[in-house]
Amino acid sequence: MEKKGKLLLYALLLVFAAALACHAAQNLWVSSQSADLKAERSISSETIVVLERGTELTVEASQSRWYRVRTPEGRTGWVYRGKVSEQPPEAADTGSGEGGGLGDMLGDLSGSSVDANAADSARSIRGLSPEAKAYARKTGTPEESRKALDNVLSLSVSRQEVNRFLKKGEIGEYAR
Amino acid sequence: MKASSCKKTDRTRRQFLKLAAPLALSLAAPVQAFDLFKALDPEGKNEDIQKAKQAVEGLSSIVQSATEIDYKTEFAIGESLALEGFQRYGLPVSDQGLQKYVNTLGRAVAGNSIRPGIPYHFVVVKSPLYNAFSCPGGIVFLSSRLVSSMEDEAELACVLAHETGHVAHKHALQSIRRAKFFEGLGKIGTINMEGEEGEKYRSMIGDLQTVLFDRGLDKTMEFEADGAAMEFAYRTGYDPGGMIRVLEALRANRDSATIKGSWFSTHPPVGARLERCRQHLEKYPDASSMARVQERFLDYRQRL
Repeated sequence: MEKKGKLLLYALLLVFAAALACHAAQNLWVSSQSADLKAERSISSETIVVLERGTELTVEASQSRWYRVRTPEGRTGWVYRGKVSEQPPEAADTGSGEGGGLGDMLGDLSGSSVDANAADSARSIRGLSPEAKAYARKTGTPEESRKALDNVLSLSVSRQEVNRFLKKGEIGEYAR
Repeated sequence: MKASSCKKTDRTRRQFLKLAAPLALSLAAPVQAFDLFKALDPEGKNEDIQKAKQAVEGLSSIVQSATEIDYKTEFAIGESLALEGFQRYGLPVSDQGLQKYVNTLGRAVAGNSIRPGIPYHFVVVKSPLYNAFSCPGGIVFLSSRLVSSMEDEAELACVLAHETGHVAHKHALQSIRRAKFFEGLGKIGTINMEGEEGEKYRSMIGDLQTVLFDRGLDKTMEFEADGAAMEFAYRTGYDPGGMIRVLEALRANRDSATIKGSWFSTHPPVGARLERCRQHLEKYPDASSMARVQERFLDYRQRL
């Protein structure tokens, strides 16, 4: 009986030690829409892979505003600190109501998952939703307000345009 | 007599303590609250606990239906509110280059928010009020007067991030979760604009207008959005101190500003916000080395 007790105690100690060892390695999660894993600590270096939101990363080193990380698949590279956080992000909300799926696929084709998700629900292409049109009719909303909203929803910005914008301003991962 | 009274008080206290935890949990995590109810009364024989459980079920279904409705419904609510916003605050500034600039910056910041996957739309409207607000689903309004009071891109990034924070946290929907429209509405809602259902919908949009245009969101939501603003801007690469500079400019302009329907009347006092933002800023020791981008911003500002 006494032996069994000791064994149980050792087992518990082992589990505790293993938990401590796991905790010691710093983990980060991709919390932005996506993050480029770069070969060097520079935005102009080769992109090894585009990491999805929620990907767990193990930190190997940090320098300036960059982390050297390892992906679950064993790839190593650098990621900008603004793209990751110490807590896993909440489940993806793509606006399509169906996870990344179609929205992301269209995003890859069009270069903008933001607009692709809107297109998914047929909004940024055709302007006001049928519900908004019905609301405008019922409430006698002036035509100029309807047109204004239509224009706002029709304005598209691609992911490439956002990246060019940040690069030109030397912002974030584009900072010198 | 005294002894029986004491016993009764003790029993009531015990019952209260038993119920307090699941009731508190129900607001933060309804699923865990139901687990706790089950643990306290596995056979469902305690009447008080079962009554409390039913109350929590009703409460959480309202809370969930308001904040966990599908994106299509959320966005339709936002569109309806935006239609009202143009009538209340003015039409968009006609310079499409300026609108594109604000949208590009807004989407850059929103991409680093806690809800980066939905489409955000930003619009600057011609208005003499210092104001900005966001509609559920991601349509964000800024007044030309507020933009004119800023000095660099980091300040604008912080204001856009503040509004993005409201959208990401679904603050507006939380504020009207008790509207009749949400009663019995499932996660995937359908909006009927006709008859009684249509009236409930329009009444809910009226409630939202009162909250966003007149009364303002709860002050804890505003403080949360200020913190989110600094975090999203910083993660994008902007100086999070931009939020502080915007608030300081607001305070400096208060005496000559129209208060009704502006950030002055719908937001907590500037002093209280500044105090919290300064505390937040301590989390970012390299804030002053982050981007401010003044020249590009001023080029666009002069178009107003």
